[in-house]
Amino acid sequence: MQIRPIAFKIGAVLLACMPSSLRGQAYHAPRAAGGHADLSGIWEALNTANWDLEDHSAEAGPMWQTGAIGSEPAGQGVVEGGAIPYLPAALEVRKTNFANRRTNDPEAKCYMPGIPRANYMPYPFQIVQSPRGILFAYEYASANRLVNMGKPVEPVSDTWMGTNNGYWEGDTLVVDVTGFNGLAWFDRAGDFASDKLHVVERFTRTDRDHLQYEATIEDPSVFSRPWKISMPLYRRVEKNAQLLEFKCVEFAEELLYGQYKKK
Amino acid sequence: MLPGYKGVCIAALCAIAAGMAFAQAKAPRGNWTPPKTAWGDPDLQGVWTSDDSFGVPYERPRRYGNRTLLTDEEYAERAKENELLASSIQAGVTPKAGYWLQHEGVDYQPYNSNWSEFARQTSRQTSLIVDPEDGHFPPLTQQAMMQRAAAIYASRLRLRPESWEDLSIYARCITRGVLGSMLPVMYGNGTDILQSPGLVVIRYEMIHETRIVPIDPPNNPHPHLPASLRTYMGDPRGHWEGNTLVVETTNFIGGRAGIGPNGDGVKYSEDMRLVERFTRTSDRSIQYEVTVFDPKTFTASWAVVFPITEEPGYQIFEYACHEGNYAMSNILSGARAEEAQEKAQPAVK
Repeated sequence: MQIRPIAFKIGAVLLACMPSSLRGQAYHAPRAAGGHADLSGIWEALNTANWDLEDHSAEAGPMWQTGAIGSEPAGQGVVEGGAIPYLPAALEVRKTNFANRRTNDPEAKCYMPGIPRANYMPYPFQIVQSPRGILFAYEYASANRLVNMGKPVEPVSDTWMGTNNGYWEGDTLVVDVTGFNGLAWFDRAGDFASDKLHVVERFTRTDRDHLQYEATIEDPSVFSRPWKISMPLYRRVEKNAQLLEFKCVEFAEELLYGQYKKK
Repeated sequence: MLPGYKGVCIAALCAIAAGMAFAQAKAPRGNWTPPKTAWGDPDLQGVWTSDDSFGVPYERPRRYGNRTLLTDEEYAERAKENELLASSIQAGVTPKAGYWLQHEGVDYQPYNSNWSEFARQTSRQTSLIVDPEDGHFPPLTQQAMMQRAAAIYASRLRLRPESWEDLSIYARCITRGVLGSMLPVMYGNGTDILQSPGLVVIRYEMIHETRIVPIDPPNNPHPHLPASLRTYMGDPRGHWEGNTLVVETTNFIGGRAGIGPNGDGVKYSEDMRLVERFTRTSDRSIQYEVTVFDPKTFTASWAVVFPITEEPGYQIFEYACHEGNYAMSNILSGARAEEAQEKAQPAVK
């Protein structure tokens, strides 16, 4: 029987010719070497989530010395439902964090960003799909994580970037992250979690140059219920795009150790 | 694991000290063929370590002359010491060898033997440097010699570190550089290699470095970054020569990191060009060769060779060096406290 395969092929060609907007979710991502959707490339968020995950108006930054440079742009929140469901005591911690953000934000100290923050900092990151796992290499602070795509592993120690176990749901990469040390913040506004944090991320390629990113965040000691953020990630389409280096320790030493310098 | 001021120096010393365990990968036997990836490239993937060269001297002790390999007698001696080190570390006791022998009687040792790596196979190499043939660094250029002498002189005049800038780039948890990340030290010698079509990724546990190497056809490499753009880990470009991965790296930041283990030692210049060659020689080993071209620092090019090998169960962990760098605050605040004490009670002459 030849008719069915031919009809199928014609259908596939017609589908491929349609703009993805008409097809809805039918965008068919190209395949990586292992046969799964190809998410590889250099990506970057284009929003103000690193300033504040929630809706925020433009505001002065923590350093008047830098004038308008380093002040906070207005931004629409990326939290589903608008507000992060903090427990009352945790909300107080968040306020204290905000008040002390100039010195206490791990970003000011050039500490590793943790998850989910690494994905929406204003620096690009690269996804490499290899037979040994899926690597996320971040330009900021040379942070990185290798997502284990094999049999899930238990965290052996608490870390900044977590223990990353991944699997595919169709063409969506799901990354289940646990084993955090509870020291990372989510943004410059002092949003935070504890070492009980559990993040489930979903990366879906929606067309050639976009990934849809979602993260479900759960931590019963800080939040009253799980909550979700979502945002697109954009491909760095420059012909010569490559990950550069942002080793920021040197930029944080005066802040961290200045008091111990010989006067 | 924190690189304490002393610990960092010790780890580097340890790597260059003679009289410790040595190892070398065996050459391929019979009809062994190197594995290929699903897309046809030679497969270098895995977690490898330089532990089998743990303690091999960087420069060759003079007694070996131009000889690159140990005699059977010398080898047996080294294997014995290696065995002592390995069995002590595995048993969780302090070995009477290497670093611990050198520091016997010291009150505060930053490391017990739990932290230490050891070789699985004893090496026959007499040194890591194989070119020039005497196994020594070529002479420094006059400019590099003056800079090094000035730096050593300044550090001798300084009683205590006045600022973080007086500590090594590794003690500051900034980087160990490319060669400094590969050379064997006391611990954390893991190198993780991942591949995907058109890319090889080389990751080092210390200090969570990732080198993403684009693979080009040898006759059509894509250009390096412009000279005005520089990084600590440089700008790598790779190609295959048969089963060998060749990586050429340029665009380094010069004058800050050294060319030795952990990024200590003679500081290299911004003109340095590294040519590394990774060749799979057996199921459990890759031969690693690197040639250093830095005419501003050295009067000739020179080369290092050693195997990186598989260790069953070895994992790459998150090395949050800077995040846990209590040593830096402690060293500097300790120095200031000592100065305050001296000021209050001037030393009796």
